[in-house]
Amino acid sequence: MSVPGTVPGRQPVIAGLGITDMSKRVYGKSASQFAADAVRLAAADAGLAVSEIGGLLTNAGISRALGMSLATDLQMRDLRMLSEIQSYGASAGAMIQYASMAVAAGMVDSVACVFGDAPLEPNLGAGSGAYGGAGRQSVGYSGIQSASGIGSAPTGYALAASRHMDRFGTTTEQFGAVAVSSREWAMKNPLAQMRDPLTLADHQASRMITEPFHLFDCCLVSNGAIAVIVTSADRAQSLRQPPVHVLGWGQTHPGYPLERGSEFGIVSGAAISGPEAMKMAGISLSDVDVAEIYDCFTFTTIISLEDYGFCEKGEGGAFVASGAIGPGGDCPTNTGGGQLSSYYMWGMTPLSEAVIQARGQGGERQVPKHDVVLVSGNGGILQHHSTLILSPHDHS
Amino acid sequence: MSVGIVLRDAQSADFFDATAAGRLLVKRCQNCGHVSQASTEMCPQCASVDLTFADSAGEGVIVACGVVNGRSKDGTPPSRTVVGIVELDEGPWIYTQFVDIDPDAAKIGLRVRVAFEQPEGGEAIPVFTI
Repeated sequence: MSVPGTVPGRQPVIAGLGITDMSKRVYGKSASQFAADAVRLAAADAGLAVSEIGGLLTNAGISRALGMSLATDLQMRDLRMLSEIQSYGASAGAMIQYASMAVAAGMVDSVACVFGDAPLEPNLGAGSGAYGGAGRQSVGYSGIQSASGIGSAPTGYALAASRHMDRFGTTTEQFGAVAVSSREWAMKNPLAQMRDPLTLADHQASRMITEPFHLFDCCLVSNGAIAVIVTSADRAQSLRQPPVHVLGWGQTHPGYPLERGSEFGIVSGAAISGPEAMKMAGISLSDVDVAEIYDCFTFTTIISLEDYGFCEKGEGGAFVASGAIGPGGDCPTNTGGGQLSSYYMWGMTPLSEAVIQARGQGGERQVPKHDVVLVSGNGGILQHHSTLILSPHDHS
Repeated sequence: MSVGIVLRDAQSADFFDATAAGRLLVKRCQNCGHVSQASTEMCPQCASVDLTFADSAGEGVIVACGVVNGRSKDGTPPSRTVVGIVELDEGPWIYTQFVDIDPDAAKIGLRVRVAFEQPEGGEAIPVFTI
């Protein structure tokens, strides 16, 4: 099955991946500079000159310091596509989807999709500055929430998690199981920032951020950038890397009503974007070999796994506590360590690891069977979702 | 942590006039009677834009709850601020801070009622208490 409307030979594939060094905190470059590095790395990985790339999509992180001017920085000429994309943590998946449609339609030959951010400064904690919500204006109705102390992502997700815990009996120890499994994967990933062993006791002893979340329920914050090159299957035949086919995709933006009956914290948009992506790819969930799930918080992994159907609704806590998602488990998930332990590049974190796994380039952490890789993006406070189905094969 | 400063804009002026007088406003649909948040511009039930302000009784139940921990300084215990979502008895949800509440006793399902706090230089903001 190919993407509907595809010009023959123009099935979309990912042919290049560029990751700036994030194995430790890196300072001294702007988000745009990191992004330019990542595009150059992705082009080199693909075997393309930057000047051969026909389109550019950018996604700025919370510091908003990346945009269309990147094309000028990279001396890109006569682009057939140039836009800034913003769906928060769902943006990486969204960029791949828009690039895939443009390639499949014959509008553009190749598109670089890039995320970059540089919120960290020396001697400043990850919870300070842009990601701490500092300096946000409190005006009008929307100001009431932040003025009430609900301005940061950890607090927004803690409220969502509290509803899941209340409804289904999910526990902090089950959240901890996600952190432990992620770290076990990260210890096998030379690209990961956090490679020291982590136990459930370490998780439980870590300081509280917003209860019910401990420190180790929360993702890292990273300076850096990741870029991906989308092109056609025909074009990829003459490029350096084995192509990773984009077989299916979906998005959901639930728009939870803020009133009685809302499923906020109970059901995520993955419940819709997941089945739609799998239907487009012509696969079922049992075909998925590897899951790369947006994990801004441990809870996000649990609710997403439930909504994709890897376990029953409400049983995500028990599922992760069984060891299913860690190395050697039946449902290898976030095999690079995710945003909890490897690096925080919004949706580019799960996407980059998915490309590595689909290619079979995961080294010590490579999952032996990697014919179908599911990539999940999630943004806002569970407000934006994207799903991709990737494969080293052109048919699933 | 006490509540921060919120400034009014044109859309929220009536709401903050009411909070200053100790009243919590919601919106009522004149077409179908559905009650929604004060900020709602279009009825989520019937899509009518004929909405008018109405007074909430100011009572409801906690439907989401978290405790924001401050950073511990000089060995003192961190501050713990209870925040969450209240479902008003009329149906709308409101993001809020809880006051005069034991952080270890705060939980989903507790009945709460509105109070108001007005920091220097800002509008009066609804908070909730047991």
